[in-house]
Amino acid sequence: MRLGFFAREAWRSIRANAAISVAATVTVLIAVFILGAFIPSFLYVRSAVDAQQAKVDVDVFISDNATVAQVNDLRDRLEVLADRGEVRQFTYVSKDDALRIMRARLKDPSVLDELPSNPLPAKFNVKPRDPENATVIVTAVEGHPALDPQEGIVYPKSTADRLLTVARFVQWAGFILIGILLVAAILLIGNTIRLSVFARRREVEVMKLVGATNWFIRWPFMIEGVICGLVGAVLSVGLLWALKVGVVDSWIASADTALTRDEATTIGFLWLSLLLIAAGAAVGAIGSGLTLRRFLKV
Amino acid sequence: MTTKDPRPVADAGEAHPTDDRDGPMSSDDTHPEAPAPTPPPAAWSRWDRKSMLRPGPGPMVVLEDVRKVYPGDVVGLDGVSLTIDAGEFVFLVGPSGSGKSTFIRMLIKELDPTSGRLTVGGRDLTTLRRSRVPYLRRAIGCVFQDYKLLPNRSAYDNIAYAMQVTGSSPRVIRRKVPEILSLVGLADKADRLPSELSGGEQQRVSIARAFVNHPRLLIADEPTGNLDPDTSVGIMQLLYRINRTGTTVIVATHDRDMVDRMQMRVIALEGGHLVRDQRHARYVAVDG
Repeated sequence: MRLGFFAREAWRSIRANAAISVAATVTVLIAVFILGAFIPSFLYVRSAVDAQQAKVDVDVFISDNATVAQVNDLRDRLEVLADRGEVRQFTYVSKDDALRIMRARLKDPSVLDELPSNPLPAKFNVKPRDPENATVIVTAVEGHPALDPQEGIVYPKSTADRLLTVARFVQWAGFILIGILLVAAILLIGNTIRLSVFARRREVEVMKLVGATNWFIRWPFMIEGVICGLVGAVLSVGLLWALKVGVVDSWIASADTALTRDEATTIGFLWLSLLLIAAGAAVGAIGSGLTLRRFLKV
Repeated sequence: MTTKDPRPVADAGEAHPTDDRDGPMSSDDTHPEAPAPTPPPAAWSRWDRKSMLRPGPGPMVVLEDVRKVYPGDVVGLDGVSLTIDAGEFVFLVGPSGSGKSTFIRMLIKELDPTSGRLTVGGRDLTTLRRSRVPYLRRAIGCVFQDYKLLPNRSAYDNIAYAMQVTGSSPRVIRRKVPEILSLVGLADKADRLPSELSGGEQQRVSIARAFVNHPRLLIADEPTGNLDPDTSVGIMQLLYRINRTGTTVIVATHDRDMVDRMQMRVIALEGGHLVRDQRHARYVAVDG
């Protein structure tokens, strides 16, 4: 019965203060929309960068003259790096494997048939946990007697370095932007709610004078905040959906860039919606509850 | 209840010879049992939750050397001691800034005394916990000069709100609100918003709201301050009728005619001091 009463009280005050309720709802809508557009973009870029990072690998070529013992020693060194977590995985590619891969890559594999012998060296293909570890791998095996004198160690240094820079930038820029957006959203919503509570401070005063407890006054306000937050969040999820279906999906389908080709993923729309709606409701409830506190001291 | 000397409004105007003792400091002497505040009997702890205020006769409001100093050394009340018994009808008079509002606001613990002791219905308000204040206020009906009605609610809903606050069931609310509306003569205006009612009608709603929970103490702060004389008479009659049901009524007022007509106990404050406390008295001490 109480919940019903509080819900009716909340509905009454939404109708009585329609303009402010709409303002609060629109504020939530805008804040949630910006967050909802930014979060998946950020996650997408991050995941794309991660996917690129996974591709940075180090090829350690083995001389044809290396002894089995030397190759085993090289393998042990890589094993140590793997144990320390700096190497995600490494695989041995034999001379025959190398030729087979080459054959698969060529348009016209028949040219390889002309070769008197297999010129390709065997190698360890090493995948570092992240590009920073590439240099660690290089220093660990540099100058090893088993290395192929011509090829030695090959890794895309400039790519790795650039990716590293991009990854760090995306990480920090993302966190800072999300932080600023969150603070802005909370300030905006808090301000709107303050406006609404301020408009009704006389009402709150009267309620206190007839003996209403703080929670008796607070519940309808919080329910009102939740309703405004929910409506705003649901509307902005709707807008985001329209944006996704109408613009982003077709753009991703048509674009052929490094980002879209990769197996980059982002948060699913369902989870994003649930997250945003929950956030909208929570901000509404907490915002109105906290803002009211000041006016309850009568 | 112990309603002393009920005085119909009709026979006002005529002064009571025995009470015409003058002098600014002549205080009333009809409190043989006064200022000793009786300690609460063990039995009424069961009243705690429901009414906050002790039932039955005895002192309802007791001030013992109460002082209130506002920030900036502004004195609201300066060492006032007095007792108001259950069932009394009391006028609180004095010029603006005399301490009337301070007194009224202390009774509902909107303000706390700087020093001294203030007891309402056997409860020491100086030690009453903050969280209990709502329950105190439910036990005291309040009427204000500016009515303090909720602007977005009809007369009916304003009165119902005071009952919803106390957790009354919808059934009880549906029964009692029309009852009290007809008691104050507004049965046909239940659905009007405050803005659609005249000042006198708004004050009637406010009184109905104050009385609907049957408080043992009803406080009115300048209830006729914004009303014309004829309307004021109606409001005072209503307060008087409420007093006759056994409710203690304290009315702070500037309304000289009304006080002179009603011939009730008059407590006069000036500059925070108690300057007169007389039964069956007039607005000013000097007759005429």
